[in-house]
Amino acid sequence: MVLYTLRRLVLIVLLLGVMSVLLFAITQVLPGNVARMILGQFATPDAIEAVETRLGLKDPLVIQYGRWFFGIVRGDFGQSLIMERPIGPVLAEALGRSAVLAALSFVLVASVGILLGVIAAVRKNRPIDHAVSVFSYLGISVPEFFWGIAFILVFARWLGWLPSAGYSPIGEGFGNWFARLIGPTLTLTFTLIAHVSRLTRSSMLETLRSRYVLAARAKGLPERVILFRHALRNALLPTITVLAIDVGWLFGGIVVVETVFAFPGLGRLVAFAIERRDLPLIQATLLVITAVYCLANLAADLLYAALNPRIRYARRTS
Amino acid sequence: MAPPEAPLLEVEDLCVSYATAAGVLRALHGVSFRLAPGEALGLAGESGSGKSTVALALLGLLGPEAALSARRLRFGGRDLLSLSPEEKRRLRGGGMAIVFQDPFTALNPSLPVGRQVAEPMVFHRGLAESEALAAAIGLLHQVGIPRPEVVARSYPHQLSGGMQQRALIATALAAEPELLILDEPTTALDVTIEAQILDLLESLRRMRRLSILFISHNLGVIHRLCDSVCILYAGEVCETGPTKTVFRDPAHPYTRGLLASLPRLAVGDRPRLSPIPGTLPDLLEPPPGCLFHPRCPYGEPRCRRASPLFSSPGPGRAVRCWRAEEIGGVSWEEAVGGARPLAAGGGPAEKAAPPLVVVRDLRKRYRLGGFWDALGWEKPAGRKLPRPSWAPRFLHALDGVSLAIAPGEVLGLVGESGCGKTTLGRTILRLIDPDDGAIAVDGREIARASEREIRPVRRLAQIVFQNPDSSLNPRKTVGEIIGRPLERFGLATGAQARRRVGELLEMVRLTPSYASRYPHQLSGGEKQRVGIARALATSPRFLVCDEAVSALDVSVQAAVLNLLEDLRRELGLAFLFITHDLSVVAHLAHRVLVMYRGGICEEGTIAQVLRPPFHPYTEALLSAVPRIDGGRSRIRLREEGPAAEFAGRGCRFQQRCPRILGEICRTVTPPPLEPAAGHRILCHHRLETLAAVPSPVDEAAPGAPS
Amino acid sequence: MPAGPLETGARRRLPGNLVAGAAVVLAIALAALVGPWVAPFPYDEFHIRDRLQAPNALYWFGTDEYGRDVFSRVLVGSRLSLLLGVAATAVSLVGGVALGLAAGFFRGRIDEWLMRLMDLLMSFPPVILGLLILAVTPPSLWKTVLAVGIVYIPAIVRVTRSVTLELAQEEFILAARARGESAGYILFREILPNAWPPIIVEASLRVTFAILLGAALSFLGMGAQPPSSDWGLMISEARSYLDQAWWMAVFPGLVMCLTVVGINLLGDGLREWLDPRLRHGGA
Repeated sequence: MVLYTLRRLVLIVLLLGVMSVLLFAITQVLPGNVARMILGQFATPDAIEAVETRLGLKDPLVIQYGRWFFGIVRGDFGQSLIMERPIGPVLAEALGRSAVLAALSFVLVASVGILLGVIAAVRKNRPIDHAVSVFSYLGISVPEFFWGIAFILVFARWLGWLPSAGYSPIGEGFGNWFARLIGPTLTLTFTLIAHVSRLTRSSMLETLRSRYVLAARAKGLPERVILFRHALRNALLPTITVLAIDVGWLFGGIVVVETVFAFPGLGRLVAFAIERRDLPLIQATLLVITAVYCLANLAADLLYAALNPRIRYARRTS
Repeated sequence: MAPPEAPLLEVEDLCVSYATAAGVLRALHGVSFRLAPGEALGLAGESGSGKSTVALALLGLLGPEAALSARRLRFGGRDLLSLSPEEKRRLRGGGMAIVFQDPFTALNPSLPVGRQVAEPMVFHRGLAESEALAAAIGLLHQVGIPRPEVVARSYPHQLSGGMQQRALIATALAAEPELLILDEPTTALDVTIEAQILDLLESLRRMRRLSILFISHNLGVIHRLCDSVCILYAGEVCETGPTKTVFRDPAHPYTRGLLASLPRLAVGDRPRLSPIPGTLPDLLEPPPGCLFHPRCPYGEPRCRRASPLFSSPGPGRAVRCWRAEEIGGVSWEEAVGGARPLAAGGGPAEKAAPPLVVVRDLRKRYRLGGFWDALGWEKPAGRKLPRPSWAPRFLHALDGVSLAIAPGEVLGLVGESGCGKTTLGRTILRLIDPDDGAIAVDGREIARASEREIRPVRRLAQIVFQNPDSSLNPRKTVGEIIGRPLERFGLATGAQARRRVGELLEMVRLTPSYASRYPHQLSGGEKQRVGIARALATSPRFLVCDEAVSALDVSVQAAVLNLLEDLRRELGLAFLFITHDLSVVAHLAHRVLVMYRGGICEEGTIAQVLRPPFHPYTEALLSAVPRIDGGRSRIRLREEGPAAEFAGRGCRFQQRCPRILGEICRTVTPPPLEPAAGHRILCHHRLETLAAVPSPVDEAAPGAPS
Repeated sequence: MPAGPLETGARRRLPGNLVAGAAVVLAIALAALVGPWVAPFPYDEFHIRDRLQAPNALYWFGTDEYGRDVFSRVLVGSRLSLLLGVAATAVSLVGGVALGLAAGFFRGRIDEWLMRLMDLLMSFPPVILGLLILAVTPPSLWKTVLAVGIVYIPAIVRVTRSVTLELAQEEFILAARARGESAGYILFREILPNAWPPIIVEASLRVTFAILLGAALSFLGMGAQPPSSDWGLMISEARSYLDQAWWMAVFPGLVMCLTVVGINLLGDGLREWLDPRLRHGGA
């Protein structure tokens, strides 16, 4: 198990290294001259030349990459070209806000999604199964931005229960802070809950059809033992893998949802960076997202191994 | 027999049907039997006979789509039909327990074995979790598991198949049931392991006075374990009675057909098998009258009109046939058209001819696991801290195998699963690339040849596979499947090719009209015939048959075996016949190789291998085969350790050898003994010792059918 | 030997969701085909005096800030959405099936590297990957199609690879190798015809993902550009007028949901219909 964890960690560090090269390469092919973006359209060639030299844009790419990479290792993400501020603090602030949003959503997705999936599987073809099924159909069929707008329309504009958008620091009152999290969180979770519950339902049904569940029934065990000890444990394995992938979706969703709710988090920062072609900001934000995604995968792998003895004990005892 | 006590289990007129999209499927119809306390009853039948449905019906585990009815269904004096779901649950595991066929899928992969064994004690006997666990360890010990404390903490994937099945038996015994239902409990296991499990069941039955309902397609296994037998055909009982009497003197035509289809493990004359013609009736629309009449050689008009009633040909017996009394004197062989003796002078065509296939010192090894799995810790002597090491482990699938096959010869290759026999067959055809060694087919060296150079050999050497469902491309018609080799090798085109496909179909006893069908429209036996026709399309001289009859029911298997024998004679084909079934090899092969863990331990003509002297492994294999005619098993092997542990030193059979001599077996590679020309045994024992063992195989009386 | 049964079982009834889904998809496809000719107004025609009108007899779905007819715009927009969904899925199919077959059949190094590359692609959230690809050059419809198509290649690769791996173990493939067939023949004549069902099912679901992703990209301003009548873009534009004109956002949204639900039903129906486990009934 120690070896396994080490192995996964090494792989993830490798992956992040490759990603950093890739991100650097992608941003190099983005159109637009950085110096001209800073100086504006009417800059003289001399001025552009001067800026390029100052920023080190004339050095070989390998040197530029090295400078950028080791900067990040030291915690220096460089300067945003558009905001003309160091990226580090901006990123940290945005990441903090989004992390709360993402963590809240993830907990909801995992708990509610799995619960609904299990209920639907156990009550297969009963009204509650059909209800979950309709709910999850809507979930996977309706895009987040439309849910967001519908949410704002109904709860903010028509009913007036919640503020429509924006962000309020927790320092200015828990209620305000929390009220502004509800909309983005619910919007973000809806699609993913649908996804997770559908998957849990089908994997639970498959497990319930398995031979060892039949064998457990033949032992005359009570239904709850069959469900929770024999079926659920095995049925959760594919769900865990998918939850890790869903963390990726969550970040995609964050870009959209934060835009809809004008929530100043990482997602809006990414969208802003890409829209304005702010190279250092693009590189920094995407690298952070990739890192989070990799960590989520690591967590999923470890959880998977913890639940699955075939990975924990790969060899025979005899 | 007639036990004075009240029966433990009474089943009368049990009917089960399933509602499917295509109509109502009649899985069981009017099934009746009784089981006395302490009795062992065998339920025998081929696939589709409904035998497993009986078990699920008794346990109340049929799905909601099944409809069940019975005149009487009583267990221990209680009416099973009127039990509440909760009472049924208490009875399952508590009163009656079941052991399923495939132990690996029947154990929960993510729970320790000990807990799974302990569960019934917790829920039926009210033991605390820790008490139950301790009791489970005792139980694991009782079913013959070494180091039960370790095994109790292990997970199913860490145990071998035999150990898994023992653990399942322990689970079934945990709540001390009165009735043990065994549903093909040894079918997934190797024959030596099967023999051990049967021993275990026999002793448990004696010790605990268990009643056993034993479900199997294998008549030999039932003969070994059961007092009485109940033969099922298409969801109906056709014959019941004491096992020995029924198998010695079968009354129902179907029972007779089944027995006549069985290849026998015997030395001497080999009678041609007499298979049952036709296929199982469609249970969506069962034929009127006797269900067996479409396939019955004794049939008369009455059989087509009305379902027969039971009559009793002897004490404790019942048979469902209109003509049971009249046909006593007419054997099945006579009824279906007379038995021809097999192969008078059935040896290879030309004794002096150079061998067609020559294999020398063939080697192939596989790394176990990926790059990362080879990583581990090692602690060299004199160092305090362990350091990481990379030491891949290898499975030697072929470890220096040599053989030769003459034109027209059938070379049998027997061995247990994982011994490398399939790898050998595929490597000879270069479907797998060998690491080392030489392969020559018809004088052409192909071990390292390019695909282009092999091409002429591909025409000469073809293969027939095990699994009829996977060997034909489901998207192609039979005509396309058989026609493709003709096209590929430019042998025939257009109308000529169609004519040739027709000929090939007739050669495997199908009609040319089959060319337009798709595989899913064929029965298992028909698919296997199409697979043979495809292999024959290029007029090969050598066929590898890899378990070619193992997936087929006995009656169908007999027909395919006859077909292969006819083809060998008509076309002068040579075969490498790979199988785990010694009876089939004894029936078909001229010479036999016995393989164990990648190497050959004995080879010789069929008569040499089936008579002493034996290699200890051959002896164990032969004595483990459960048979319906005499022959009690004696030799037992120890459970196998991990396959990779054989370090390449000493005898490869050392870990399980019941006749192990000592250090020499562990360190020195055994020399070949040659008791006769062409007979080789790799063993450290002296020939005289090996020759002194009694033979577990009977000599067949010359000329007498079965 | 008697002839075996010619038909195994009766013909199966089509699943209900397949029929319902097909009906919805057909209706939307019809709208996409004839939309521009049957729409009450040209989709880009301004009616300055009828700006921000609520739904009424003339303008069924109301009008937007320039007085354009929302109904006509939604109708014409179906063309863009369906085109995007289908074309992008075609891109992922072409790329994904080829790579998946190669990975599953040749195994070894090729498989290892391809799958690592796919893992890499999948470790970007789709929206962000799409944004990134579109950021390279100025947005256009075809670029959106390409971007969305590339984003979903890994999904198709995975499905194709896993069926290929499974099929490559079948004995009929060994039989083909035993007669020395070329890799091309085995891949395209033996494996692919059997691999289609799961790929088609996956692709049908990917169409909805593609439509939603395309809409999200347009919503974020990186896909379709004004004045085009893309549904995502329409919803994005409507955000500024939520207080005055809810219909600007709600109608394109509802129609989009209907489309996606329809395609999902179709896909699930296909899955049920093609699944051999469900096909052969019990027994």
